Amino acid sequence: MLSVNNIVKQYAEHRALDDVSLRVEQGKIFGLLGPNGAGKTSLIRIITQITAPDSGEVIFSGQRLNSNHIARIGYLPEERGLYKKMEIGEQVLYLARLKGLSTAEATKRVRYWFEKLEMGGWWNKKVEDLSKGMQQKVQFVATILHQPELIILDEPFSGFDPVNAEIIKNEILELNKQGATFIFSTHRMESVEELCDSIALIHRSKKILDGSVEEIKEKYRNNTYWLEYEGQYNTDLPSDIFDILHKELKKGKTTLKVQLKEGRSANNMLAALLPVVNIQRLDEVIPTMNDIFIDKVKTKD
Amino acid sequence: MNKILLIIQREYLSRVKKKSFIVMTLLTPVIFAGFYGIMIYFSIQGIKGTTNKIAVVNTNKTLTEKLVSSKNATYTYVNKPLAAMKADLAKDGYDYVLYLPEFSLNAPAGIQLLGTKQAGLNLNNKVSDDVENAIRNQKLKQSGLAQQDLDNLKSSVDIDMKKIGETGKEEDSSAGASTIIAYVGGILMFMFILLYGIQVMRGVIEEKTNRIIEVMISSVKPFQLMMGKIIGIAMVGLTQFILWIVLTGIISTAVVKIYADKTNITQSSVSAALKKQNENKIFKEATEKSPIGNIQKSLANLNLTKIITLFLFFFLGGYLFYSALYAAIGSAVDSETETQQFMFPVMLPLLLGYSLSLSVVTNDPYGNMAFWLSMIPFTSPIAMMVRLPYGVPDWQLALSMALLILGFIGTVWVASRIYRVGILMYGKKTSMKEMIKWFTYKN
Repeated sequence: MLSVNNIVKQYAEHRALDDVSLRVEQGKIFGLLGPNGAGKTSLIRIITQITAPDSGEVIFSGQRLNSNHIARIGYLPEERGLYKKMEIGEQVLYLARLKGLSTAEATKRVRYWFEKLEMGGWWNKKVEDLSKGMQQKVQFVATILHQPELIILDEPFSGFDPVNAEIIKNEILELNKQGATFIFSTHRMESVEELCDSIALIHRSKKILDGSVEEIKEKYRNNTYWLEYEGQYNTDLPSDIFDILHKELKKGKTTLKVQLKEGRSANNMLAALLPVVNIQRLDEVIPTMNDIFIDKVKTKD
Repeated sequence: MNKILLIIQREYLSRVKKKSFIVMTLLTPVIFAGFYGIMIYFSIQGIKGTTNKIAVVNTNKTLTEKLVSSKNATYTYVNKPLAAMKADLAKDGYDYVLYLPEFSLNAPAGIQLLGTKQAGLNLNNKVSDDVENAIRNQKLKQSGLAQQDLDNLKSSVDIDMKKIGETGKEEDSSAGASTIIAYVGGILMFMFILLYGIQVMRGVIEEKTNRIIEVMISSVKPFQLMMGKIIGIAMVGLTQFILWIVLTGIISTAVVKIYADKTNITQSSVSAALKKQNENKIFKEATEKSPIGNIQKSLANLNLTKIITLFLFFFLGGYLFYSALYAAIGSAVDSETETQQFMFPVMLPLLLGYSLSLSVVTNDPYGNMAFWLSMIPFTSPIAMMVRLPYGVPDWQLALSMALLILGFIGTVWVASRIYRVGILMYGKKTSMKEMIKWFTYKN
């Protein structure tokens, strides 16, 4: 669908993107992650043709990116807004027509979406009369109205209450099911885990990690478990099976966070413990995207 | 191209539909017409004037020549002593008493004008002129001239100014009227460029602070957005200007007609056709002799269509020239309060053009200074408007217009390079140096 090849973008003294390459598969939801100032927005601006790279190229559906693709991409920037004094309906129509829709077609679709997202009575309202969350909904509609094949959302959930965030999330999933490809730029790792198929992590202008979410998580499993039991086990004794990372005692229950030693399995650990204590819980600690993010960014620093 | 049209349409409609636009457009011609009406009214009043009845108490034996009454002052010689006349002033229906004591004709002294009201400067001058005339006539008669000869001495001179036109044809002209038209043209041009140039800047800042700019830029090119805005607002300006001309015309005609009808009605009841004729004459005289009359007379010869067409051209040219710069400024800042440091360098040539045009150019419309001011695109829209009523050679007009077109292509090009970078910069204070750096950025 989209491949970004060796992109370099230099601003005066600052190199915003340094030889960044990535691939976004057709019909997937792709997470573009990275701390503030990493270069995510610069990359998105290149994909949306707001700026051009100094070197490297972007291939969209097998073609080098060009102005014909503008109507096939929808972009919801992080810094987004609407004309304050304009009526909502008129405004969304205007934005859709700028993307190349005819007035009749645009009107039909705006009505459909307003109906669907319970915005029916908003047509003649002005932006300044809407709450921030309502404005976000309008912006979301404006982004997807021209049925783009690639939809780029920069922090789409900021400003939404949980109910509306859920509505928008479901719309994203539905559009995705219908075939739209998404690029998601966000700091909220829980939404990445929920939605994204694969990710790329950009830090200090370079891509430092990419791949499918499952693969990455698999790669970052490090044999760590939560263990809860009743009974006496001398945790001070050295063990050749596991190391204790964390220990907590509460109402006769002991909670341990342990990491298995090289070549040992959870079964080995259970075999050692079963004769002594009454095991109540054993969980593998699967790293969250949040952990991976922090870990990757910190080690780079 | 289609996208630019859409942008123009939005920029135009969103402004024309605003209440403030409608109010301004309707109100300004009313104020103009009102101003015009007041000027006519006062010039008529000035000519009609008030008649002062003056009783003359003459105790001078040598001055036998009578004071001649005129429209503003009628003299009646009374045979009462000054003290009695002073007491009976109001009862006898006089406004003032003029007391002429005994004095030598070579050194008149002690003349008094007394009244319940303080006599104005005009009346004072008028009476002293009349007394001087009487004394002069008396002296002339003493030296042997007959009344008939005195009458023959009088001759009224009225200079009719003509300018020899390019075709050798004589044209009525009036330095005063040309100056007034030059002033009005220059001021209007200055106001328009500033007013609409700043609207462009506000529009750009609005898009930045509303954060809609990035949404827009992912659909259209920055250049399209900038030009769409500039052209849209130019059309708002033209709409307003044309409406002003039309409405001012309609309202002025209506006001003049109503005024004329009203005087007709009041007069007819008095049944004095003569007086009515007289009134009309006064009205005609008023409009002819007052500055307005002059303007109307000169306007008739100035080729109004040419002036308005050229005004529109120079307005559009000057506006495009400056509005592109204003768009660049708007793109570089986050709020209107930050615009100060950039506004000054852009305002300076405009202000300079304005003040020089209204002082130097009106005094010497054919001089070197006037020529250069009307050639340099920074000042030419205003300077040319000011020069126009005095007459400008065609080649100079053509050169100035060509330079202005080159000028705005230049500023639009420079501005668009700054604009495309500036609109995506948030929350940073921009310096002049940075703007120059943006200019050199590759796409």
